[in-house]
Amino acid sequence: MRRSSGGGIIGETAIETIRLTKTFVAPRGLADLVRRRPAIGGITPVDGVDLSVRKGEVFGILGPNGAGKTTLIKILCTLILPTEGIARINGFDLEEESGRVRESIGLVTTDERSFYWRLTGRQNLEFFASLHNFYSDDAKNMVEELLGVVDLKYAADERFLNYSAGMKQRMAIARGLLNDPSVLFMDEPTRSLDPGAAQGLRDFIKEEIVKERGKTIFISTHNLEEAEELCDRVAIFDDGRIKVVGSPADLKASLGDGSKLSDVFLHYTGKKFEERGGTAAPGFRRDRRGFPHRGGGLGRRRGGV
Amino acid sequence: MITIYRKALSFVRRSYMLQMSYKFEFFLRLFFMFFNILTYYFVAKLIGTAGMKYLEPYGGDYFSFVLIGIAFSGYLMVSLRGFSESVRDEQMMGTLEAMLVTPTDASAIITLSTLWNFIFASFRVLLYLIIGVLLGVSLAGANVLGALIILGLTIVCFSSIGILSASFIMIFKRGDPINMLFMSTSELFGGVFFPITVLPAWLQTVSHLLPMTYSLNGMRHALLQGYSLRELAPDVGTLVLFSVILLPVSLLAFRYAVRKAKMEGTLVHY
Repeated sequence: MRRSSGGGIIGETAIETIRLTKTFVAPRGLADLVRRRPAIGGITPVDGVDLSVRKGEVFGILGPNGAGKTTLIKILCTLILPTEGIARINGFDLEEESGRVRESIGLVTTDERSFYWRLTGRQNLEFFASLHNFYSDDAKNMVEELLGVVDLKYAADERFLNYSAGMKQRMAIARGLLNDPSVLFMDEPTRSLDPGAAQGLRDFIKEEIVKERGKTIFISTHNLEEAEELCDRVAIFDDGRIKVVGSPADLKASLGDGSKLSDVFLHYTGKKFEERGGTAAPGFRRDRRGFPHRGGGLGRRRGGV
Repeated sequence: MITIYRKALSFVRRSYMLQMSYKFEFFLRLFFMFFNILTYYFVAKLIGTAGMKYLEPYGGDYFSFVLIGIAFSGYLMVSLRGFSESVRDEQMMGTLEAMLVTPTDASAIITLSTLWNFIFASFRVLLYLIIGVLLGVSLAGANVLGALIILGLTIVCFSSIGILSASFIMIFKRGDPINMLFMSTSELFGGVFFPITVLPAWLQTVSHLLPMTYSLNGMRHALLQGYSLRELAPDVGTLVLFSVILLPVSLLAFRYAVRKAKMEGTLVHY
């Protein structure tokens, strides 16, 4: 056992995949199904992925748009079934024990539509808590605690539609932690945030989720700086395949002094890594609807969330 | 059991809060319901005793007959639309994926998402009956227990058809044949607006294949004529048979649909 870069303890395997593959075929209509016409063509966003992520580790999947990162995360969260291969989360088989898998994981996405916009933050969290089998006082207490963790107590009874992008992302994190999961999947969590808010979120992940709570984090990112700062190990992912896995420092060192993670990406994929502009639209953090949030975005709480 | 009850309560609370965030729409729906009832009241006045021959088994009054028909056929509409609309609404709102990543089973999510629609439908039925009584419908001799048994079986039958319909939506997104089939045939053949005995004998065969026929027949006999449980047995028995066949089939179909959507990665497509 050793300490992760965020301070958590790295132990036995939390996520394991063996030749995990997903091939999508073109959607077929009723007539094709009735006539049992074979599917033609298809794409393979996840192609024979072998992974082993240790407990307490922050593991990053680094790849460009369309590399298959989201598909991989959705497979590991039981939202998409693999075509081939095996995957285990906390020792539970993804297909055979999908219920047990879901009990032990949390998912944080950037899709702000995944909340009920006309309900308040608290109402949203209490509802999702019930889906994790927490009710009444248990749910209320847990939601209250998590609202404190993500520093949204002051806005808990405002409608979700009034939240800024940063606040919505904090809500997504709070929801991901509702069942106190041992593994937290985060799909490009800083995608819609401006640089300050993104940095706040990264600090929060390191300090609160990894160091304080000892979670295993499986994070997909499009941001080299984020991968370097957060991850104990990263997998360079392109065309559905893992090209190389290692700590950012080791990967850079393998190419010689002065190498950057972008050089590693170029070396293993033959492609130049183009980072997505992470800045949200100007003024998006500020509340133009007059919502009384303090400071906005994610850049608060212990210099973090 | 307690878990599912608490979960159900949580879904109802969520739907109620969402509904109440659109108060104007909620009250409009209630308000325009009165016009619907009044329309049939005056149609009944026009018809008078003209259809007595056909209406005699139900007490002879057309307004009473049609009131029960339109009130309880609402359950079929809720079932047929409710489940598939729940799937579609959650897909469009983007909340379906967030729900499916929790330990709550997909079938439970879809079933519980529709609960509020049934509660609203029941509230509407109650209002229909109250207004009906105010307009002269007599429910004095109603067999309430019999009516409740038929209501329970009706909900199970219609819900099963609704879950089958939602399974199609899950896979094909639009163009659900189950919905279209039952929506277009139930009002004509199910005895909502007129007794099925009005239909030619060969068309009555179609009526006998629809749960709606037995549901409305039993409900009218229970509420308007106070039939005993023994007298209601044929309708109750047929509804039980429909339930025993349709419920497991629909749940299996939904499970298959979710698996297929997960296989194709189209769970959140609409």
